[in-house]
Amino acid sequence: MGWPIRRSAAWWALSGLTAWIIILTASFGCQPAFASEPKRVIILHSFGRDFKPWSEYARLIRAELVRRSPWHLSLYEHSLYTVRLDGNAPETPFVNYLRDLYAKHPPDLIVSIGAPAAGFVQRYRHQLFPLTPMVLAAVEQRRIQRMDLTANDAVVAVSLDFARVVGNIVQVLPETSNLVIAIGNSPIEKYWATQLGRELPPVTDRLAITWYNDLSFEEMLKRAAALPPRSAILQIMLYIDAAGVAHEEGTTLTRLHAVANAPLFSYSDAFFGDGIVGGPMLPVAAASRQTADVAIRILAGEKAGDIKTPPIGLATPRFDWREMQRWNISARDLPPESEIAFRPPSIWEQHRWTLIVVIAGLLLQAMMIIALLWQRYRRQAAELESRSRLVELAQMDRALSLGVMSTSIAHELNQPLGAIMNNVQAAEILMNRSPLDLEQIKDILSDIRKDDARAGAIIGHLRGFLKKGELRLHDVELSEIIDEVLRMVEPEAARRGVEVSVQAGNPANVKGDRVLLQQVLLNLAMNGIDAMQTSLNERQLRFATAFVGDTKVEVSVSDTGSGIAETALKGIFDSFVTTKQHGTGLGLSISRTIIESLGGRIWAENRAGGGAILRFELPLTKARAP
Amino acid sequence: MTEARPPTVHIVDDDLSFRNSVARLLKASGYQVALYESGKHFLERVPEDAPGCILLDLQMPGFDGLDLQSRLAERDNILPVVFLTGHGDIPMSVRAIKAGADDVLSKPVAKDDLLEAVERAISKYSEAHRRREWMSSRRALVNTLTPREREVFALVVRGKLNKQIAGELGTSERTIKAHRQAVMEKLKVQSVAEAVTIAERLGLLGDLR
Repeated sequence: MGWPIRRSAAWWALSGLTAWIIILTASFGCQPAFASEPKRVIILHSFGRDFKPWSEYARLIRAELVRRSPWHLSLYEHSLYTVRLDGNAPETPFVNYLRDLYAKHPPDLIVSIGAPAAGFVQRYRHQLFPLTPMVLAAVEQRRIQRMDLTANDAVVAVSLDFARVVGNIVQVLPETSNLVIAIGNSPIEKYWATQLGRELPPVTDRLAITWYNDLSFEEMLKRAAALPPRSAILQIMLYIDAAGVAHEEGTTLTRLHAVANAPLFSYSDAFFGDGIVGGPMLPVAAASRQTADVAIRILAGEKAGDIKTPPIGLATPRFDWREMQRWNISARDLPPESEIAFRPPSIWEQHRWTLIVVIAGLLLQAMMIIALLWQRYRRQAAELESRSRLVELAQMDRALSLGVMSTSIAHELNQPLGAIMNNVQAAEILMNRSPLDLEQIKDILSDIRKDDARAGAIIGHLRGFLKKGELRLHDVELSEIIDEVLRMVEPEAARRGVEVSVQAGNPANVKGDRVLLQQVLLNLAMNGIDAMQTSLNERQLRFATAFVGDTKVEVSVSDTGSGIAETALKGIFDSFVTTKQHGTGLGLSISRTIIESLGGRIWAENRAGGGAILRFELPLTKARAP
Repeated sequence: MTEARPPTVHIVDDDLSFRNSVARLLKASGYQVALYESGKHFLERVPEDAPGCILLDLQMPGFDGLDLQSRLAERDNILPVVFLTGHGDIPMSVRAIKAGADDVLSKPVAKDDLLEAVERAISKYSEAHRRREWMSSRRALVNTLTPREREVFALVVRGKLNKQIAGELGTSERTIKAHRQAVMEKLKVQSVAEAVTIAERLGLLGDLR
């Protein structure tokens, strides 16, 4: 077939408008291997520069070539517009144009993008550049079989498995009952519509196929907006619709996506991210890389016909997370090993450092909390330990106090016991008399009962006092405690010639342990009694309570003994300080510990008229009404 | 003081219950009882001189048994004191005994021990009472002596002979003999030895020169 020399005005206009040459001169001046002549590469588009996915192939091949080429590259791009016109558009002017254009500087390599371009270069190879190697890129393998390849041709094929593409749709949206095929009406699209129709699974009751190939794009949009439920749209190609409108710039999918009420799918990952759900797709980047690779090898001198690469098939399924959300597709429904893209970055990804700092802070805080808790636990354990020690010591001290008072206790017990004995013996005498004086015997029995109860009470009281219990805090009334202590102290005081008196105050409630408070008072009282041992004056022991402000109450125990040396006043509550021959020196120390553990304080003073006053102060459970 | 009246036990104890019970027992055992809640109370109501004893609690607040005992001694009391103690407090018991207590009993006390001690104390009272009666009757006899006779009596009980007495008083031996006769008659004694006993018991040996 000869190349016509004549060029029509229409052709020039067309080529002037749409042909362009991009000369990319990569300069790597430092590399001496560079030849002075650049490598000339022509990239031939099938429809135009901006038809997706081919535009993507071209872009990526270009970029990859420039990146990997060790030579200066001159890249020239042309589009084969004839296929956009009807099948009879004359190709000769374009052939001539190309031949003339490169007459002086024949290209080193021609890369065709897509099947129409591949077909074109095949057809005009002998007229144009018979010996120039060619790479036929982005050609589906079905189309290659129809080509007449020479030793100067290398093919980077793709392999499109429609059954898998459709199978994916049914898998991720099992409910789908209506599959819309959005495809244009150009020759290549017709070809693919036929291929697809052949390879689609048979139409069943469950899945109907709706073809949009004979609709204008506007009509497609209208219908896509009102699809019945459980529909899905598979866009194959949409270069030129049935109305003859070419849709460049890859906008069809975006526009469909904007109106469609059903999920969109495609066979090429060039559309991934534009609104398709995803699935197994032809990987444009991989095919482009492969193409660039083959091109570089050819430029380096390898024979094009010797380079065989396997066709690139559908890649690992990829899905758009946003579309999955929109169509309610769970990650569980996806085929195994699917990748999910466009997932919004997790909080971790977005705020990694903030989170690291926050987590570190939290960890540090947690550690400190643990440390503090541990410390608290230890302290509580120590408190418990010291408290139980206090309880033990206090109990020992009480036992000692009672030991000191044993004479008086015996006396106290012997009173009722003696009375009982007397009464029994009197009764025995009366029983032998006649007539029986029943009245008196009744009185006697009643007195025995009373004395028995009295003895029991004394023992019970002592036992309660001696009991080794836990520290139990209750609301206790101080004057009751003073009365109880009085009962214990009085016999001993009587024995030792000491008069005991109480200045009764208003009831004062404090938080405390009954027995321990008794013990404090008993210690103070016994201390006072001991202090008066050698006194020749009147021996008086006096208990008194008085409120201190509205929140505290003070209890004092004063004696008329020898008083306390001024230097000893402070240390009198220390352990092992005793002025007595038989004292343990623990009584007052224990008393102080008890009072302080109840939140009070204890101290000693000397009385103006001689003798000492020991006082302690405790917080009231309830503040006094003013 | 009639024979029909039983002796009185004066019970001094601060413990009402014990006081009543011991009173009951003693009454049942045939004694009269008088009850006092404290030593001071007892002193306020000094009992009439009648056979009996004091049953005294050793330990009482303020004015205790020993205090009362010493106050009674000052008052020429002859009522024997039996102490009761709630607890065998040895130092106190010793003090009580030294101060003239007749007995110290521990509470509770068995009836027999109590009654025995009370009986012994009451018999001591009778003895003491008799001795006091004797003393007061003899003191009355001594008081009937004229001053001259007292001088003679004082010298006689010191074992002086008539002649020595006459010499000392500057009078005749005969006069002294008559005085001596009068003294012996007034004092109703038969022998000088009896007269010496009276002088000694009334504590006159020191008084009379």
